[in-house]
Amino acid sequence: MRALFSRDHWPLWVVLVLIALALVLPAVLPWTYDQIDWDAVRAPAFSGSHIFGTDEIGRDRLARLAAGTRVTLMVAIAAALVSLIVGIAWGATAGWVGGKVDEAMMRFVDALYALPFMFIVILLMVIFGRSILLVFIGIGLVEWLTMARVVRGQVMALKQRPFILAAEAAGTPPLTIILKHVLPNIAGVALAYLMLTVPQVVMVESFLSFLGLGVQEPLTSLGILVKEGADDMDMTPLGLLLPGGLLVLLLVCLTIEGERLRDIYS
Amino acid sequence: MAIQIGGKRLVDGVNITVEAGKCTAIIGASGSGKSLSCLTPFGLTPGEAQGSVKLDGIELIEADAHQMRKARSRLTGFVFQQPLTALTPHLTIGAQLQEAADQAGPQRLSRHELAQKLERVGLSRADERLDQFPHRLSGGERQRVMIAAAIVHRPKLLIADEPTSALDASLRGEIMALLDELRAEQGLAMLLVSHDLASVEGHSDDLIVMDQGKVIESGPSADVIANPQEEYTKRLMAATPRLTEPAPVLPAVGNMLMETEAVTVMFPRPGWRRGKIEAVVDASLTVSEGEAVAIVGGSGSGKSTLGRAIAGIGPLTSGRINWQGEVLPERRARSLAMRSLIQPVFQDPVASLDPQWKVQDIVAEPLKNLRPDLLRTDRDRMVEEALDDVGLGAEYLQRVPNSLSGGQAQRVAIARAIIASPQLLVLDEATSALDPLVGASILELLAKLQQANKLSILLITHDIASARRLCHRIVVLDEGHIVEMGDMAAVIDDPKADSTKRLIAAS
Repeated sequence: MRALFSRDHWPLWVVLVLIALALVLPAVLPWTYDQIDWDAVRAPAFSGSHIFGTDEIGRDRLARLAAGTRVTLMVAIAAALVSLIVGIAWGATAGWVGGKVDEAMMRFVDALYALPFMFIVILLMVIFGRSILLVFIGIGLVEWLTMARVVRGQVMALKQRPFILAAEAAGTPPLTIILKHVLPNIAGVALAYLMLTVPQVVMVESFLSFLGLGVQEPLTSLGILVKEGADDMDMTPLGLLLPGGLLVLLLVCLTIEGERLRDIYS
Repeated sequence: MAIQIGGKRLVDGVNITVEAGKCTAIIGASGSGKSLSCLTPFGLTPGEAQGSVKLDGIELIEADAHQMRKARSRLTGFVFQQPLTALTPHLTIGAQLQEAADQAGPQRLSRHELAQKLERVGLSRADERLDQFPHRLSGGERQRVMIAAAIVHRPKLLIADEPTSALDASLRGEIMALLDELRAEQGLAMLLVSHDLASVEGHSDDLIVMDQGKVIESGPSADVIANPQEEYTKRLMAATPRLTEPAPVLPAVGNMLMETEAVTVMFPRPGWRRGKIEAVVDASLTVSEGEAVAIVGGSGSGKSTLGRAIAGIGPLTSGRINWQGEVLPERRARSLAMRSLIQPVFQDPVASLDPQWKVQDIVAEPLKNLRPDLLRTDRDRMVEEALDDVGLGAEYLQRVPNSLSGGQAQRVAIARAIIASPQLLVLDEATSALDPLVGASILELLAKLQQANKLSILLITHDIASARRLCHRIVVLDEGHIVEMGDMAAVIDDPKADSTKRLIAAS
């Protein structure tokens, strides 16, 4: 744990600083993300109280950026946690029980992998209407698959280790073995893949939002901000560059950190 | 030709001389710097060598890249410990040999010539093997290919770093004999590195004993072995089990404790293939109170599978295990009372301890389940007592497995096994991953515990000589079948089965 404070983990710190800013800024700024300043439509940067200016209907860009980051990361972290829990439960069960059960559970995972999930999400949106909950379900449906595969592999490898056999010989009940011996020893790998899942979910969420299928106005996310910025980029490039740059920074940092953790643990 | 290394702190003041056609062996525990001394001058380790290393007139320490490459490729051949990983997986055997031959200047060997090289190292069906990939070959076959590749360009020096340690006991003798033959035939100088005195005995002309980066003793092999001068060498000699040493005095044996009746274990074949692998077939044996029984066999003989079935941590297809008249069921069907009768100890001491747990919790684990009636304070006291029994002090309580040496970790594993007062210990190669000195001390510890607690022991091993120090009787397994069983002395004096003879010849 102490190693996380070393300089090698700068990407993690960049992400944490960005999250802190996204949480603190809305409370400090004079404008909220959906408030329109009728006196300053399309204001340039550093005009009055608008540090990054305003968008085409006069909303403060910085406030919207903070709100968008918050929504995007919230969706990402929630979906990643769901994938972590479902993936670990599914993968650990398949790996531990083995045999026919394992075969059946993993073929089910393969079948889900084969579905064109973006298509299904779009269908769901069309049928049930747009809602943030559907974004969660759509993303959660897919992201746990990789986690389940990774965890299953780890559990199968661990199951053969002598210390698990020794615990069995010591009369430790199977559930306790899984909770006390198996899960703590796959925590590192699971954490690494969690770190890699977050940027993937950020990508998916932004993509859905960019297509106009994500969260609803006036609520915003980085994907929506990029889309709005792209529509208006010949007039105010800042509107595209800010959310776009932020998105890239987040993705790069999370991916570097995730891959580093993965290299450490596997 | 002389090799001299000196100066570096990990390895200090080492003088090694290897003459053409002769073999010099370096013996030492792990971490004694024996591999470093051999590989560093060739730039194969991160270390830097100082002093002077002369190979056929080339000074290796000051050699430039070109000279170094020449020294590595033309003058030297290397054989490493792990035949599994030392061959490139995506190249066929023939391609690897050709690559090795190319080192000493491009030369196109015909297919016939390559096959001859393989035949020379004792591989059958050589022509067919040229097209096979390394994973198709067994460990012994791969090591032969390694040797063939190491000598195909006719080097002057062959460096063999633990060439037989990863191999089965019965294969070791064959590989060493092959190296001897090739050495005589090609006038090779050979530098042999090993942690195991028994495996180089009779194969080397000169012997160098190293410990902690220093040469303890060196001289002609026969002299050093017959008449060791230094304390460390003497201890090493005493720790190396031999069949010629006087028979040990073993504690008296009581009534029959455990009996297996026609135990059979089968595994389904991996993948989609049908059928079953018979790991153990109709194994019937008995263990009495206070008795130590050795189960001996090569790798794949089913000895570990049998031990696991008995210890209740592996499957049992058919047959029965009786404990004083009571039937012990398979694996998870065993009650806690049955669990407390038999405890296992495994080969790899570090892997048998949960890396996330402290020693205190590791040792206490059986107590928590098998003796739930105990108070926490009693449990803590018993953990300290158990650690004390295996020769570890209270300062180890808070340590984690990664900070323990192999010997210490194995002592912790034994403490965990004995804490719930079992009556039978199943030791699965419990000393074979350890250095000889440490392994011998673990065997001594087991003998002491056996006497003090009237423990019965099932010692699973490939090494008859070390089993003889502890065991009353011996059971020899070969391909899942019990081929021989009887008193230790009787079997060693007059082995009946071929596999027994091979195992005895190997130790």
